[in-house]
Amino acid sequence: MGTAPAQLFPEFLVDAFGIDSVLGDVVASLIGAALVANIILAFSGVAGPWAKRKITAAFTDRIAVDRIGPYGLLIIPAAAVQLLAKELIVPEGVDRPAWDIAPILLPASAMLGFSVIPMGQIGPLNIHLADPEVGLALVFAFASIASVSLVMAGYASNNKYSLLGGLRAVAQNLAYEIPLIVTAMSVVIFAGTLQISGVVGAQTETLVTIAGVSIPSWFAFVNPFAFVLFLTANMAEIGRNPFDIPEAPTEIVAGYQTEYSSAYFVLFYLGEFVHIFLGGAILSVVFLGGASGPGPESISFIWFVVKVWGFFLFTQWARAAIPRVRIDQLIEIGWKGMLVLSFANLVLTAVIVGVIA
Amino acid sequence: MSLERPDTVDDGAVERTPDELEALLGDLVVDRDDHLNAPGFVIRPDTVQETLSILKEQAGYDHLSVVSAQEYENRYESIYHLKKFDDPTQEVSVVVPADKDNPVSESAEPVFRTADWHEREAYDLIGVEYDDHPDLRRILLPETWQGHPLSMDYDKDRPQIATLPEHANPLEEHHKDAESDTMFLNIGPHHPATHGVLHLKTTLDGEQVVDVEPDIGYLHRSEEQMAQNGTYRHQIMPYPDRWDYISAGLLNEWAYARAAEDLADIEVPEYAQVIRTMGAEMCRIAAHMLALATFALDINGDFTATFMYAINDRERVQNLLEDLTGQRLMFNYFRLGGVVWDLPEPREEFFSNTRDFLDQLPESIEEYHNLITSNEIFQMRTIDTGILPPEVAKNYGATGPVLRGSGVDYDLRRDDPYGYYDELDWDVITEDGCDNFSRLLVRMREVEESAKIIEQCVDLLEDWPEDERNIQANVPRTLRPDDDTEIYRAVEGAKGELGIYIRADGTDKPARFKIRSPCFSNLQTLPEMANGEYVPDVVAALGSLDIVLGEVDR
Repeated sequence: MGTAPAQLFPEFLVDAFGIDSVLGDVVASLIGAALVANIILAFSGVAGPWAKRKITAAFTDRIAVDRIGPYGLLIIPAAAVQLLAKELIVPEGVDRPAWDIAPILLPASAMLGFSVIPMGQIGPLNIHLADPEVGLALVFAFASIASVSLVMAGYASNNKYSLLGGLRAVAQNLAYEIPLIVTAMSVVIFAGTLQISGVVGAQTETLVTIAGVSIPSWFAFVNPFAFVLFLTANMAEIGRNPFDIPEAPTEIVAGYQTEYSSAYFVLFYLGEFVHIFLGGAILSVVFLGGASGPGPESISFIWFVVKVWGFFLFTQWARAAIPRVRIDQLIEIGWKGMLVLSFANLVLTAVIVGVIA
Repeated sequence: MSLERPDTVDDGAVERTPDELEALLGDLVVDRDDHLNAPGFVIRPDTVQETLSILKEQAGYDHLSVVSAQEYENRYESIYHLKKFDDPTQEVSVVVPADKDNPVSESAEPVFRTADWHEREAYDLIGVEYDDHPDLRRILLPETWQGHPLSMDYDKDRPQIATLPEHANPLEEHHKDAESDTMFLNIGPHHPATHGVLHLKTTLDGEQVVDVEPDIGYLHRSEEQMAQNGTYRHQIMPYPDRWDYISAGLLNEWAYARAAEDLADIEVPEYAQVIRTMGAEMCRIAAHMLALATFALDINGDFTATFMYAINDRERVQNLLEDLTGQRLMFNYFRLGGVVWDLPEPREEFFSNTRDFLDQLPESIEEYHNLITSNEIFQMRTIDTGILPPEVAKNYGATGPVLRGSGVDYDLRRDDPYGYYDELDWDVITEDGCDNFSRLLVRMREVEESAKIIEQCVDLLEDWPEDERNIQANVPRTLRPDDDTEIYRAVEGAKGELGIYIRADGTDKPARFKIRSPCFSNLQTLPEMANGEYVPDVVAALGSLDIVLGEVDR
């Protein structure tokens, strides 16, 4: 560790096949994007129909799917066929094409976020598509497009429950996006760069060594307060308990999703899962040392998967155990609590970094 | 002793003899029509408010249990069954005959808010019209229904066309100005939070509720009429299981059993009373567990662990009830004069299963307290939301955990003892918060009290001498209570005061069978709790009322 970051995946392809031209760059980027997209889709495909059921069942003393295939795993193709084979019902008076764009926008925006996430190495392959200098800002920008999708869906559905869900989504995202990004900025002050490889690189050094075990200087250990703030804001960002207010099934049926069925419904669900994984990826990049972990660099992809799925598990745990706050309480927490705390954290970090360094 | 009620210095607690009451009412009383449970005063249809005011203000009859209406050959009749919250054994019936051709009677709504819905029901099903009623519309049947199904000249063959008009925003004009506008939202009849088919006509200002009106009747199954077509002895008992159908079956059966046994003067053997008490409290635990489970669902969202944990515990009680009665929901276990069969053999196994359940119950309740009541977010959501002040609750005739959550100490098991309750050691639970949290807490603590009762019953049953195990009194094969006897009797159901009014006409079937559903009266308080609150609080308030639509609509 600590060496120069490995070659980005498209560059690796260009070198490996000797296709050093504009066309070669395009082809290599497309292949890289396809690989990353498939990894993410595989996560969501497993998480959607199968893992979520198993996890929720484990939390609630049940068994869940175990009839179809080993451990019920064949539920995955079965659910895919079932969901896609359903009729797509287009309610009267929906505002097209906004109504059609919203379900595509949600997974697409979340998926775009992964383009700058370093996902670790499998052997010599470094699964990292791009590393622009504004990487961290870019990933938050992509993640925020999701709220546009929710508003579009809520407004275009011509349904009062959807409208309420859309309004709640906006209110919630405004209240939480700012603390989320301000908290992330405190990390940027530590790292001195917005470039994601730089942020990850800043976390490789050893913080302390306790009984022969060296603890890396992950920002979660360096600044646990910021980590907790970020984790909380992240739960709101991805809309999970205690902040699943835009959907809130027992209050406003399914919020912005109410009028969507069949493939559009699947796209929304896919988008939500990809969004959770993106939330986990951002969390691991900013606070948990990216894809780093014990063992050789060449298996670091495994650590990335562990961290992202760990976050997924955390969201499901919260779902099973924690009640939902009310929309006005959420806004109060966001604007009066989190915002103040995150700015305090930012200023404090800036002072400490400025004085010590 | 725990069953002693706290001393209350209130002139309402003073018991007056029927003659003193008659003297108090003076000229208002035109005749006497005593019922088995209470003196009945016949008054003129235009003096209802005056009479009820005197009884409420001067004699302390502050609880209008139910309004039951019926049609006779020569007249219509509304009966106001009054009680005291301080002592429900003091009862009085106000009988209001109305003209056969022009059945108009004064509304009691200005005196008792609860009369609003009860009179609407009487208008809907019987056809009595109430003068001065604020909102005399049909309540159970669709607005377009023709005729009144429980009246004598009702043509049941007439085709009914129930149209589906768009619901309009009642406040559209009233609230519209430059800054604000309201939105009308139909919550239900199919909605995850309505606990059945309930329709809330909600008007919202942003996320805040400015008006909510429960629209009921989607689950109306003519339970009263079905009971009127069944014989007392056997054919009515299966129906009560289907009112509060969510595992409170034995409590419902007891309501009918108590009314019919008092009507026909049947003495139930002590052994059967102990079994009844035990079974009823098992049902109460099952019902409260479900209330807890669904309330967690309303507050936490649909993936909550609390729901499944509580359903698991309810499952354990249901296994016991299945052992006892042979059924899991529709028990049909009580008989007039006793129960249908003795405890299951081997008795030791049943007792040890029951004790096992009781032993693990404190642990479960501890876990619920950890999961929900001690959770800060949960407290934030439920404390000081859905406020129901005690006076408002009384005025609406709210009973059961809803009333006790508002700090009113009223429980028929202690105040109007039946079964074996007055021989056992247990407490009536009240909480003073008047909010969603208090109502939940009352239920959770009542589960513990029920467990205490069951434990004492098991002790008693275990030591009961074998030759004295009499489960059934001698009851004639066909019951024909005397002509023109009337009775209103109530028990403490899972949701509150579940009462039955029966009028006998000398045949083996009731001439009038009226169910006083606690959920019906409790649901009526929803607008009081919800107006001005946020949408999630309406859902929480509805969950804390713990209504079962099968009992609301009957």
